[in-house]
Amino acid sequence: MKVKVRKFINYIRKPQHVILLVLLVCLAYLVVFPLFYIVKDTLIVHTSEVNRVHANAGTLTNYHWAKTFLASDTFATFWQPLLHSLICAVLSCVIAILVGGLFAWLIIRTDMHCKKLCSTLFMFLYIMPGWTLAIAWTNFFKNSLVGGTTGIFEAITRVSTPNWFAYGLFPIVLVTGLHYAPYAYILIGGILKNMDSNLEEAAQILNVSRAGIFVKITIPLVKPAILSTILLVFASGLSVFSTAQFLGLPVNFYTLATKMYSYLNGTNPGRGYVYAVVMMVLSLTILVLNQRMLGTRKSYTTVSGKSSNISLTKLRKGRKIISILVTAFVICVTILPFISFATESLTQVKGDYSLANFTLKYWIAEDAGIGFSGILRNPVFWKALKNTLLLAVCCSLGAGTVGALAGYGIARKWGSKLSTVVNGLTFLPYLIPSIALSAIYLSMFSTRHGIIPALYGTYGMLVLIGVVKYLPMASRSGLNSMFQISATLEESATVMGIPWWKRMCKILIPIQKTSIMSGYLLPFTSCTREMELFVLLYTPNSVLLTTLLFMYNQKGYEQFANAITLLIVILVISLNALINKITGASIDSGIGG
Amino acid sequence: MADNSIRLINVTKRFGKSVAVDHLNLEIPANSFISLLGPSGCGKTTTLRMIAGLETPTEGEIWIGDKLVFSAEKGIDVPPNNRGIGFLFQNYALWPHMTVYKNIAFGLENMKWKKADIDKKVNELCELLQLSTYLDRYPSELSGGQQQRVAIARTLATSPQILLMDEPLSNLDAKLRLEMRTELKRLHGTTNATFVYVTHDQMEAMALSTNVCLMNMAVMQQYAPPLKLYAEPVNMFVADFVGNPSMNFVEFDLKDQVVSRNGVRLGVTPVNGGKLLKKEGKVVLGVRPENVKVSAEGEISAKVISSFPYGMETTLVIECMGSDMRTVVFGSVDYRTGEEIRISLCHEKACLFDGETKELLSVVETKIL
Repeated sequence: MKVKVRKFINYIRKPQHVILLVLLVCLAYLVVFPLFYIVKDTLIVHTSEVNRVHANAGTLTNYHWAKTFLASDTFATFWQPLLHSLICAVLSCVIAILVGGLFAWLIIRTDMHCKKLCSTLFMFLYIMPGWTLAIAWTNFFKNSLVGGTTGIFEAITRVSTPNWFAYGLFPIVLVTGLHYAPYAYILIGGILKNMDSNLEEAAQILNVSRAGIFVKITIPLVKPAILSTILLVFASGLSVFSTAQFLGLPVNFYTLATKMYSYLNGTNPGRGYVYAVVMMVLSLTILVLNQRMLGTRKSYTTVSGKSSNISLTKLRKGRKIISILVTAFVICVTILPFISFATESLTQVKGDYSLANFTLKYWIAEDAGIGFSGILRNPVFWKALKNTLLLAVCCSLGAGTVGALAGYGIARKWGSKLSTVVNGLTFLPYLIPSIALSAIYLSMFSTRHGIIPALYGTYGMLVLIGVVKYLPMASRSGLNSMFQISATLEESATVMGIPWWKRMCKILIPIQKTSIMSGYLLPFTSCTREMELFVLLYTPNSVLLTTLLFMYNQKGYEQFANAITLLIVILVISLNALINKITGASIDSGIGG
Repeated sequence: MADNSIRLINVTKRFGKSVAVDHLNLEIPANSFISLLGPSGCGKTTTLRMIAGLETPTEGEIWIGDKLVFSAEKGIDVPPNNRGIGFLFQNYALWPHMTVYKNIAFGLENMKWKKADIDKKVNELCELLQLSTYLDRYPSELSGGQQQRVAIARTLATSPQILLMDEPLSNLDAKLRLEMRTELKRLHGTTNATFVYVTHDQMEAMALSTNVCLMNMAVMQQYAPPLKLYAEPVNMFVADFVGNPSMNFVEFDLKDQVVSRNGVRLGVTPVNGGKLLKKEGKVVLGVRPENVKVSAEGEISAKVISSFPYGMETTLVIECMGSDMRTVVFGSVDYRTGEEIRISLCHEKACLFDGETKELLSVVETKIL
């Protein structure tokens, strides 16, 4: 007995054990338990469903599952949205890889002009939230067939855009693909940049044609990066919500995520949870499949030395025209949206772009005509801004600290069972689509469980889900930073009897301050632009910029919506610039021209 | 002065299914200089880290002096800082964001020493290790040898009675390594501490230590003074690992104290008047290169395969009795490839190993019959 107690004390005396055990308990409750809880939610009658199911609230029922899979309209309400989600995922992947890969090749391997500008602007696509492009798309191409007013394109050309072009699958796929193209650019570009061109030159000497080199050498070498892009974009495309909501709703184009949202917000939340379960199962399947592929696929050492020499492909005659086309394209997808947000927020009557119709009233008027004062005078806006920033601070402090500690614990016990489990758990939220995660939390925290109070409607709830959602990000950077420093740096202090907190504060953190800081800053920017995670959970009291925008957009107050979008984008981009300045590294650093 | 001997009793360390250290029993006398020697992955670093308390053994007991610092059975595990040890890491583990002064002083500051005392101690150590001019530099601004000396100074600052060193010289170039060897031997003399030294370099282990503990595949093979290890290796692994160029192994058939191969017959008489326990069967004769004498009157003919003249001596690879052998000829001589020479194995010391178990049967004196 005494021996066991002593052993336990010896075990618990090491801080990495305490960290891992505490994390294990917390994450089991916050990440694993919810997965089971939501399944339960698909099997009971919710208060709002009493009249529909004809049973008391809280009783067991198979109504939701039966309705989803067995009802006569199951094709329209389930299989079609599922199909839409899958098509979105596949096509977004294709676009992201084609655009991102081509862009990477142009920037890194050719003598194109304006590389620096293009690279910087291109990253905007990723920094800006995905739905901003969706809003910009509507601004430009909406037609009079749906919603009444027309967009900038029709106003200028007098040509009415067809429905398939303005709404639905086509723009959703395009917008999602473009949003993730920079991701493909970073990954593929990183390899292209570090790959020794000797590998290609060796083929050139053997008299292989240019196309042959590209197909037989370059493409296979960048395959790992392409696979990893496919994983991210496919998973995101599958659960795309806000873009699908903005661009799909007008023509009744539903994806799994938007359908789930409509059920959760309507009178059949149980069925919404069924959709959430389906989405999660899909995401997990893809990730498991990918993990398999990652595990078995060949890994190449493409980096042969520090000074890999890159020979630029000469574009010859095409140099000028390609440079102009690429620059024009990048400006179209990054600068034009800004202009459209600004213009839309300034038009008095929607769809009329004459100078006389411009007004500042939606920004500064006491009363902008629809019972709201202009954005900058609107107390709701200021509250949302304050809430957003405060939430971002809280989430980043929470996720950053927990992430750094998790990274420490996991790295120190690397290879042990406990460490492997906790490592998997910190990564799990990444695999759960945001909208599904928030659906789970909605159901789980709406009532009291033992000592944990009902959190729904409180600000704490938003902080909690934010911390959980951004934990993968923060713990990754925490883990990386801990792996970069040899454990002996800490052990040499341990041997001298320097206490743990002092080892952390005086040795580990000072050495790795940049990467630990990025563990705090990444969640911060992500949080300011997050919509999907909070759209189910906010209440008037905890309104955020993004949810306010969502509400305005749904109600058709487009001037307000555009004004807020513009502000969010400016906020996000300046925060990003600030972070680059502080940490001295930008996302595309080491790649861009 | 505190007793700084170390005792490991039946210490086993398992990582999952693989065994890193297997039932190790080791007594390290106070003030000695012990080397843990072996190929990489043999468990020597793990052993050192277990003594330090940086690694937790799966089974066994560790005593430092008369204090039980670890016992799996009794659930005792004294933290590293209470074991009175200093640890010198292979990669030095200098804190990159602190100056040389700060690196050395950090442990003392933590012990709440007075500023003046710290200054005195740091200066004293820096003088001893010739670092006085580098106090304000950062580790990245120092050469490998200087970094190594800072690491030593930092470890010595807290005056540990036991100094554990994990391949401290392996990152240095050949010349510096020789200098630091001298330094370490001098330090051992002045500090009176027990030194435990991990290395995979058998020359280093032989040159530095009072006793060598040779390990392989988690198991201790032999624990003996360097020259005994060299002259009486307990098995073929030890014989092969120690010595450069390594020992020649030639298979023979044994019958009644006579071994034969390819028409060559050698009488093998155990030294010290012992008796051969094995009467007949396959044996391996291990002969150190310096005991394979090249001479015009040699009894056995051989052919030079390659010759490596180093100046002071020349190493030859020869073909002899249908087997490749190495031999050393002292002096500045060279041989042509293919040259016919003669060697002598008469009245030389050799080791006779069992052909199956690879264990030493006896150290013998050879005689051509």
